[in-house]
Amino acid sequence: MRNVTLESQSNPESQIPHPVFLYACLYRPPQSEPARASLAVIAQEFSPRYECHRDDLVSIDVSGLERLLGPARVIGEELRRDAASRGVRVHVAVAGARMAALVLAHARPGVTIVEPGGEAGALAPLAIGILERLDDVVGADPCVPPSQGYGEARQSAKRDGSRPGPTLRPLVPSLSKNERSGQARGSAPPSDAMVETLSVFKRWGLKTLGELAALPSADLASRLGRQALVWQAIARGDDVRPLVPTLEEERFESSLELEWPIEGLEPLSFVLTRLLEPLSTRLERRDRGAAVLHVLLRLVTKDVHARRLELPAPMRDVRALRTLALLDLESHPPAGAVDRVAVVIDPTPGRVLQHTLFTRAQPTPEQVSTLLARLGALMGQDRLGAPATVDSYRPGAFAMMPFATEHDDQRRTRGTRREQDEPDAARSALNVVSALRRCRQPVPARVTIDDGRPARVTTDRRGFVGGTVVSCAGPWRTSGNWWADRSGGTDRSGGTDRSGGSDQPHQTYPPHQTQQSYWNRDEWDVALNDGAVYRIFQDRDTEAWFIDAIVD
Amino acid sequence: MPLARADLESLLRTRRLDRTLTTALPPLDPAGIPDEYVCAPTGHTALDARLGGGFPRGHLSEIVGPRSSGRTSLLLQMLAAATARGELVALVDALDMLDVASADAAGVQLDRLLWVRGHVVTNPGLCRDLNQRAVEQAIRAFTLVLQAGNFGLVAFDAGEAPADAIRRLPFTTWMRLQRLIEGSQTAGVLVGSESMARSSSGLTVKLGIGASGFGIRGTRAIRFGSRLFEGFDVDVRVIRARARAREDATVALRTLAACGA
Repeated sequence: MRNVTLESQSNPESQIPHPVFLYACLYRPPQSEPARASLAVIAQEFSPRYECHRDDLVSIDVSGLERLLGPARVIGEELRRDAASRGVRVHVAVAGARMAALVLAHARPGVTIVEPGGEAGALAPLAIGILERLDDVVGADPCVPPSQGYGEARQSAKRDGSRPGPTLRPLVPSLSKNERSGQARGSAPPSDAMVETLSVFKRWGLKTLGELAALPSADLASRLGRQALVWQAIARGDDVRPLVPTLEEERFESSLELEWPIEGLEPLSFVLTRLLEPLSTRLERRDRGAAVLHVLLRLVTKDVHARRLELPAPMRDVRALRTLALLDLESHPPAGAVDRVAVVIDPTPGRVLQHTLFTRAQPTPEQVSTLLARLGALMGQDRLGAPATVDSYRPGAFAMMPFATEHDDQRRTRGTRREQDEPDAARSALNVVSALRRCRQPVPARVTIDDGRPARVTTDRRGFVGGTVVSCAGPWRTSGNWWADRSGGTDRSGGTDRSGGSDQPHQTYPPHQTQQSYWNRDEWDVALNDGAVYRIFQDRDTEAWFIDAIVD
Repeated sequence: MPLARADLESLLRTRRLDRTLTTALPPLDPAGIPDEYVCAPTGHTALDARLGGGFPRGHLSEIVGPRSSGRTSLLLQMLAAATARGELVALVDALDMLDVASADAAGVQLDRLLWVRGHVVTNPGLCRDLNQRAVEQAIRAFTLVLQAGNFGLVAFDAGEAPADAIRRLPFTTWMRLQRLIEGSQTAGVLVGSESMARSSSGLTVKLGIGASGFGIRGTRAIRFGSRLFEGFDVDVRVIRARARAREDATVALRTLAACGA
């Protein structure tokens, strides 16, 4: 007694009482009548910390509820009584470990109470086949370290007198199979791996959870892998992961009734800001970003002008969202004055961005998408993007692709660059590749021929003076799509520039010549006495001459 | 009191504090090593050496020259070098004259190039104001891209734009753009037939046909399998430089025809 006093004086932490964890589990056995209330509603009545594993299974953190209701048995009885009053017949188990409560709720009807520390003993006589029913709840938990389960970590945390904190919480909560697949959240048949593991246990002669718990962990892991350790931890009454509270689906919606109808976009921007700011705060609190932004404008004509913006990246910046909404409304204005504004956001998990010291900053997806929206409103959506080459011999053919808002990080690695681009880099370090300036609409020209070669080129076009040909090269005959109908009919050979998926260009050029149209011409490069160098061509069908490009 | 004043003047002289008022600040890299965070290298060794590392970031620079003087070739070379460094680049093409095959041949990573195609036409007909409006629209697009920030290189190509449409722009346009780009990591480049930004520009290079003239294949032995134009020699002359590059420095470039160009 004296020693204890001395110890408590020397270690102040020992004076703090160890927290007692208490978990309750509700399991609704299969029954013919459909349930009138969900287990989540019952759980909410007792604790905000509950986790819905399936529609028929929920675990609740009832730690500390003893002070309000009484001992564990009273809590269990209260849970059962509350469920019965709602017309739901449930199995209730209360234990110091969540997984032990889950197993006992499956195994025993009525109310089962296990004193803290007695989980292993309570589980020991249960048949090992009970694990089949928990397969979809446990699943393959990636958070269990190979040498130490969460249970052991929790036990050590108990010894330290501290509650399992966020460090032990899985970064990505392991979802049950039903949650992953999005199916109805009922009991699912056991997986093949589970069936195989259980058959191995049965071949070994194991019949109860106690026998499984008694096996040496290292030998078990060496024969059946990490997952077997999870099953053994459950058999020993240890938790394989902490409880991950289920959060209610939150609807990110905000609306405002206007006393006086709004006609212009400028006053609407203030309304949008007022609506978006609290939504942004809520999104930030939930670590969510907006994936889709719905703007619903009720007009004075009682019509609803609805706009839907699919955002290229999750964002919650109020200015960016407001600008995008306004730019969209600018190009799609409402037909009348607005007397009610509503904004609805479809949330998505937030974007994790890790900056680096060694690479140059690039525009964020928010900046790029805002810029593209602004440029699209100014120039037209078809006038901007990323150019792309096309698989065609047609002179000047290209495609426009949407400019990506996110790009892979930075320059290629040194080794790759050295291997692949060394010849190109050496060439560009000494010389420059000569480039053309394309005339999207070829400029009609008058060409005087002397001895079969262009001798003089003139045009009526302002800016193209023309002159005597100093030197020239050619002709270079090029033609294509001669197999297609010359009037631009369908190319039955199926020749297209690109196909499929998101890589499909949204526009190909020249627009006046479809990819299936026919061309046949002789090209010349001519240097005129005024110093200009042109690429000209003669259409072999019409024998008309055109300036196609400027060498610059 | 006079003695104290003399002491103060002596101290000022010793500490050379007056230099801050009369001379420019020392360069950021005292060793004189070109830093790609200060300059945007063109990728051409000789030209970069003459320009003190490349085109300055945070400045509005110009590439000017007559038609067929290699302006586009140099611009594409700069875009290729910037995209090879992993930067995002933008080109406001006032006349919509970019040849995508040439850009690809120059080594530009096309997915990193934001191409804004203007509406300026070479033949406005009777609508004389058409080009003026289109140039102003292209300038607004250029402004938006600069405002977005964090692009490595942003170019405004008005190389074939009617000179009167450019001249009718208010001169404050270029001052405003220069103020917009100052302090950023973006190198702004204007391409035109004559100087546009003038005193607002950080660096102006003028391109012209070199003394060696044209290398058109017609004067040489014909080699089958290659295309028509072989290239030309270009003289690049620095006619205005605020820092680093020496004015009147001249570099000879040789352009080569790309396969398929």
